Formats: sequence, C-alpha cells, structure tokens
Amino acid sequence: MSIEESHDDGGHQMPAVEDWPRGFGEASWWPFVTAVGAAGIYAGAGLYVVGQGDNAPVGPMAGPAAFVGSIGLLLAGLYGWVYHAFVSHFWEREEGGDHGNTLKWGMIAFLGSELATFGAGFGYYFWIRAGAWPPGELPELTGSLVLGNTVLLVLSSITLHWAHIQIRKNKRGKFISGLIATLLLGIIFVGGQVYEYYEFIVHSNFTLTSGLFGSAFFGLTGLHGLHVSLGAVFLGIVLVRTLAGQYSAERHVSVSTASMYWHFVDVVWIFLVVVLYVGAEVGGAG
Amino acid sequence: MEITEQIALTVLMGLFLVGIAAWLARVENWRTYSPVGGGATGGEAAYGSEEKPSGLIRWLTTVDHKDIGMLYGAFAIFAFVAGGLMVIVMRAELMDPGMTLISNTFYNSLLTSHGITMLFLFATPIIGAFANYFIPLLIGADDMAFPRINAIAFWLLPPGALLIWAGFLPIPEVIPAQTGWTMYTPLSAGVGSGNQANAGVDLMLLGLHLTGVSATMGAINFVATIFTERGENVSWANLDIFSWTMLTQSGLIIFAFPLLGSAIVMLLLDRNLGTAFFVNGGSPILWQHLFWFFGHPEVYIIVLPPMGLVSLILPRFSGRRLFGFKFVVYSTLAIGVLSFGVWAHHMFATGIDPRLRASFMAISLAIAIPSAVKTFNWITTMWNGRLRLTAPMLFSIGFVQNFIIGGVTGVFLASIPIDLLLHDTYYVVGHFHYIVMGAITFAGMAGLYYWFPLFTGRMYQRRLAKIHFWLWLVGSNVTFLAMVLLGYGGMPRRYATYLPQFATLHQIASLGAFVMLAGGLVWTYNFVVSWLEGPHVEDADPWNLKENGLRTNEWAWFEQKRETAITDGGEESETVTDGGEKVTDEE
Repeated sequence: MSIEESHDDGGHQMPAVEDWPRGFGEASWWPFVTAVGAAGIYAGAGLYVVGQGDNAPVGPMAGPAAFVGSIGLLLAGLYGWVYHAFVSHFWEREEGGDHGNTLKWGMIAFLGSELATFGAGFGYYFWIRAGAWPPGELPELTGSLVLGNTVLLVLSSITLHWAHIQIRKNKRGKFISGLIATLLLGIIFVGGQVYEYYEFIVHSNFTLTSGLFGSAFFGLTGLHGLHVSLGAVFLGIVLVRTLAGQYSAERHVSVSTASMYWHFVDVVWIFLVVVLYVGAEVGGAG
Repeated sequence: MEITEQIALTVLMGLFLVGIAAWLARVENWRTYSPVGGGATGGEAAYGSEEKPSGLIRWLTTVDHKDIGMLYGAFAIFAFVAGGLMVIVMRAELMDPGMTLISNTFYNSLLTSHGITMLFLFATPIIGAFANYFIPLLIGADDMAFPRINAIAFWLLPPGALLIWAGFLPIPEVIPAQTGWTMYTPLSAGVGSGNQANAGVDLMLLGLHLTGVSATMGAINFVATIFTERGENVSWANLDIFSWTMLTQSGLIIFAFPLLGSAIVMLLLDRNLGTAFFVNGGSPILWQHLFWFFGHPEVYIIVLPPMGLVSLILPRFSGRRLFGFKFVVYSTLAIGVLSFGVWAHHMFATGIDPRLRASFMAISLAIAIPSAVKTFNWITTMWNGRLRLTAPMLFSIGFVQNFIIGGVTGVFLASIPIDLLLHDTYYVVGHFHYIVMGAITFAGMAGLYYWFPLFTGRMYQRRLAKIHFWLWLVGSNVTFLAMVLLGYGGMPRRYATYLPQFATLHQIASLGAFVMLAGGLVWTYNFVVSWLEGPHVEDADPWNLKENGLRTNEWAWFEQKRETAITDGGEESETVTDGGEKVTDEE
C-alpha cells in the first residue's frame, strides 16, 4: 500500500503497482509475456505449415511443439495480468463505479468486434445459401441433439441471469449454485457439440472438407464452440474468485461482463440454429 | 531425434537472449529515467516517485501510454523506412521498360510487401503512436482505460511484422508472398500452377491476422478510454477533434478488422486443410466482397485520424479556432457510417449485378460530400487567418492540397463508366497514393514536427524541416501526377515491365520518388541530430499558442511536467546521481 501512496503525485493513479517487476507503478512484464505467448501461437502455426513437405527446413513436430508451449506462455501472461489487475487486493482497491463502467464499455466494444468475426462466416454461408441449394447431400441436421443443446444453452443463460440477480441481493449461496449450474450446462453443451461432430465425421462421413456446406457448418459451429469454451473459462474464473470470497452486491463487475459475453454467445447460437440448421433444410428442396 | 535437438536449441537460444537482455539492462543506461540502475533491483524502498525501471527493461515492461506511444512511433517509422526502401528499388527497376535490375518475381514480392507494410505496419501504428501519447493527455485521463492491454497490443506488432516479412528472411524453402496487398483468390489460395502455395504466403497471412488482433485490441481500448476516462472538465461538447476522429476510427476498426481476420482464417483453411470457402468449389469473388468490406473502411481507418491531426494543428498556426467544428465532427461520423456502404466500388469490373453497382456508385459519390465539408472547413479556417508557415503548418497545408487532388481523382473513379476505363491502371495507383502518401503521411509528419518539442524537449532545425517539406511536396506531386497520366494512357498497374511508350512518364515518376527519398534523408538526419543535440526548448509553449487562447491540454501537461521536473530536482533533462545530488544538464 505504501507504494501506492507514495506514487500518488497529483492524483495520477499508477496502473501497475503490484506487478512483476515489483516496486514500480508503470511497469509490468505480463503484457510482454502475454504477447510473446500469443505471437508464439502464430509462429507455431507458421512452423507447422513450413514443416510440411519433404524438404521442410523444420521437422513436422516443431510447429505443434511451439504452439503448445506458447499457449502455456500465453496463459501464464494472462494469469499474471488478470491476477494483478483485478484479483489481488480485490477488497482494498478503490470501489470505483467508474472503472466498472470502463470494463463494461470494453466488453461492449469487444462484442462488437465479435459480431464482425462471426459476420464473415455468416457472410460466406448466406453467399452459398443464395446459390443453388442444396449444394450437395446434407446430413440430418435438426434432430433431438441440436434441440436439446439449444434448450441447455438457453437454460444456462437463465441460470446465469438468476445468479446475477442473487449476487445483487448479496445472496452468495444462491449465486454460487447458479454459477455452477451455468458452468455445468455450458460444459454439457460443448460435450453435445463434440458428440455431434463425432456422429457427423465418423458415421455420416460429413467433414470440414465435404464441400460448401461442410466448410460453412464446421466453420461456424467450430467458431461458436470456441466461444462457448472461452465463455466457460470466463465463468470458471468468476467461480474460482467467488469461492475465494470475492464479489458482493456492490462489487461484481466481472460477473456482469462475463454474463454479457455468455448471453451474447447464446444469442449467436440461436441465430445459428435458425439460419444454419433449420435454414439449410427448409426451402431448398429443389 | 531431430525434434528434441530443435527444442533444445530453441531453449538454449532463449536463455542466451534472456542473458543478453539482462546484461544490456545492467550496462545500458540509455535514456535513463530513474537514477537506480539494473531494472528489477530497483527496489520498493526507494524514495521519491519511481514509476519505471531503467534501461531496456523500462521499454519492455512499460504500461505507460506515453512510452507505448513512443514504441508505436519507433515501430511505425522503422516500417515506413523499410516500406519506402522497397518502393525505391521498385521505382529504380521501372526506370526502363524491360526487366533489368531485379527479377519480375522479386518485383511482385516487393509490391506486395510495400503495400502491406505501409498500410498495416506504418499507417495504422503511426496513428497508434499519436493516439496513445496524446489522447489521454487531451481528454485529461490518467492513462488508457486498459494499460496492460495497450502494451499487449503493441507487442503483438513486431512478431506480426516478422511473420509478414518472413519470406524475405533467409529461411530455406520459404519465398515472399506475391499476391498483392489485396490477396485476391484464387491466386492467394495457392491453387493452380503458380508458386503461391508456398509457406511464405501462409506466414504473411498469419502475421496480418496478428496485427489485426493488435489493432482491434487498441481500438477497444480507445473506445473505452474516450467513453469513460475523460477528465471532469472534458464533456462530449468540448471533446477535441482528434479524439473524435480516433473514436470514429476505433469504431471502424472494431467492425472491419475482425472480419478480415475471419476471412484470413478461412483463406488459411482453404490453403492448408482443403475447405471450400474461396476455392475448391467456393467463390473467389466472395473474397473480394469480404476483403473490401474490410478494405474500404480501412482506408478511412487510416485517413480519419490524420484528418483529425490536421484539424487540430492547422488552426494553431492560423491564429483562430477550427471553422465549423461541429460540422467537422458530423462529417467524420458521416464518413464513418458511409464507409461500410461503398466496398463494391472496388469491384465494378468483376461483373457483379448492375443494380448493385449503381447503388454502390451512389454511396461512393455521396462520401465526397462530408470529405468536401472538411476540406472547405480547413480552407475557411485559414481564410483571413494569421498564418505562420512553420513545418507542421506547411505539412498540414500540403495535406489539404494533396487530399483535394486525391479526393477529386477518387470521385471520378466512383463513377462506373469511368472506372471501367481506368480500373487496374496507374490512375488508381496515383489516386490512392495522393491519399496515403500525399495526405496521410504528410499529416503524420505534421504531427511529428508539431509535437517534437514535447516528446524530446528539444527543437528540430527549421530550415531542414522546410527543405524536407518542399522535397516531399514536389516529389509526391511529380510521382503521383505522372501515375495519373500513365493511367490515362492505359498503363496497367502491378507490372514490373511495360511498353516503351510509357518510359518517359515512368522515369518522371521514379524521379519524383528519388526526390522524396532525398527529403526522407533530410528528415532522418534532422530528427536524429536534433533529438540528440538540438537546443532545449525555452518554455513549455514553443508554438506560442497561449496568446491566441489555442493551447490544448497536452501542452498544459508539458508545462506541468517541466515545472515538476525543476522542483523535484530534475528528471530527463537533468539527471540525479545515486547520491541524490543535482547535476544540471547531462551534456
């Protein structure tokens, strides 16, 4: 704390007082570590491509090795960053409604960028959907599995919203159970998606390389599945922090931002089911 | 066993680099900020205000928006020099019609790399440099909303650049991409008999994706900062013009860059995993739609903040406020919205539906209106003003001049019948270079000269700055006007060789490029020498902005910083030894 005070010159707040290297207000290794990790993931993917073929200058495993190692580095960087920025000294930090606002705007802007990320994939699907349809033999899309999965995901949004209401009322027990329910539903959803992939790839012989619809289907559901997984990681972090005794009726910004993300992913799923699953089967009988 | 060797070597190399970094941090004392050497040992017990470690570690760990702005600036200028030298080689090759200096494939590689370097590694980061340094100061914020995200966003850029340039590095079996910066499919998908299935293209795509992630993180940060971190006395009504343009630009980035990111991933999947997005039965034209849905907003992403810089700087040397401030803001927002509705004007010649073409032509023509609003506002700001032709002012006026020519040539291109004639000719090259070099880079230079005293504490050499300006103004117009004329003559773009009838105009264009190279050398010399040895600025208001009531917040911050430096016993221009004794002026 003493550092924080001694750095308080003219009301200028130091953003990184607790970070490694310690003792400085505006220095942190975590962004650099995180960026090296992220860049290493790209370099790993690049090495994988370079490693293909007979005269490859690097072995075929160099890419995957760098990829996995870099993920570790990225996670370490993210941990250091998130921990020092948000988690440590949770209760001592200034109770700023202001910073909560900042984080919410950050999340809104991030969700805007997510719209664009999904937009390219949906753009491709609408493009082929407007052409001759169906472009080939379609697998059985709308079965009980996708219906069940949709119910699960919608239910998870409801449980999360309920949990959010409970923490606003300071009812921690109900909040925790709502959070756990949401996380479980999300994990079951991902399991359902994996099972669907398994059915399609192994039994229906419908894969990423099965032509136009295969690219659209696995591209979009894969992207969405990654987002659900990321959302589950967010919720997992929130859960761990809750179990460590953080959050209260007044202080639960990350519960709000994680919820925004989760609901967004849910809405994308509903849109995806309507246009990709149902939309592929209706109207294209010709 | 090859793999274990590889990994062992990598680990060894990593340790070696860490060792070097540690050693550098000990011995190097360049631009020392705090008196205690050796970075990590800086210690918590130190008295006074110790915000950063010293030496190299300061720059690797900084989360201060000003430092990150300097890093962005250094990176952007490095990329600008690299991209500029690439084009000098190309212009030298174009001195005569045949293939003399370099091979056609190397020309294509330089062409691709020049475009991508200038757009993604220079234009976007140099804007990031100004915005990071000055937006928090202008709006009275402590720092950016997310200082660590800010640092991550920067540190993604150098590895992104390495991947983009990987083809030029001596890696066996990897050649540079030759797809053009637009990466049109099917060429970029690597199908067919060409050499673009090479991993060099994949590496470039990965690098582009990485820089896109960086730009998006930066944009999210700026949106959050401008929305929520404004100081108590900064409201929407008196938000400065540069922040407005950055806010609009960040909005564009948020919706444009991730879309390109997804399209790049789709292209990579097509290339490596046999999907059917753009080839293998997919549509090559869809790539153009997705690319230009990103690509045209990208034009405004890199031109709006420079417009903001000019709107900020030009009134300071006209002795009056920006004319029609509100309308400059409105036109910025209008351009931002319209920019997403014009992309298919790049595709008039592809045989898309004529009704679609007509609507895109209408919106493309309409975007001339807000652009003209801005131009007239700059002119009326200067009208009857008390002009002071300093270097930043000259570059601002040069911006307006070149923007008018670049803009008006653009209006013609927006018209379908004219576009069909001029499509893929040098006319297009001349048009957009008037904007990207003649306008955007000029505005960047205006900013660099304008704030040079602020970020160095010294003054540049005025005469050299003016020589730089005139060399560039003449050079850019010679080159790009010759290109416009080449286009009228029917010279197609992107070729390494040409028919003898175009030789004279090509030689004139090359001459202009060499004039600009000379200007660039003058600029480099001026900046390096002035930074190291230029005279210290006498007071915190080197442009005498106070007397007209035109001083903005960043100069107030500069004044405060100088005063604090004096009462604290010195920092930066004055160093303190370990014993805490004051030593005035290290030189």
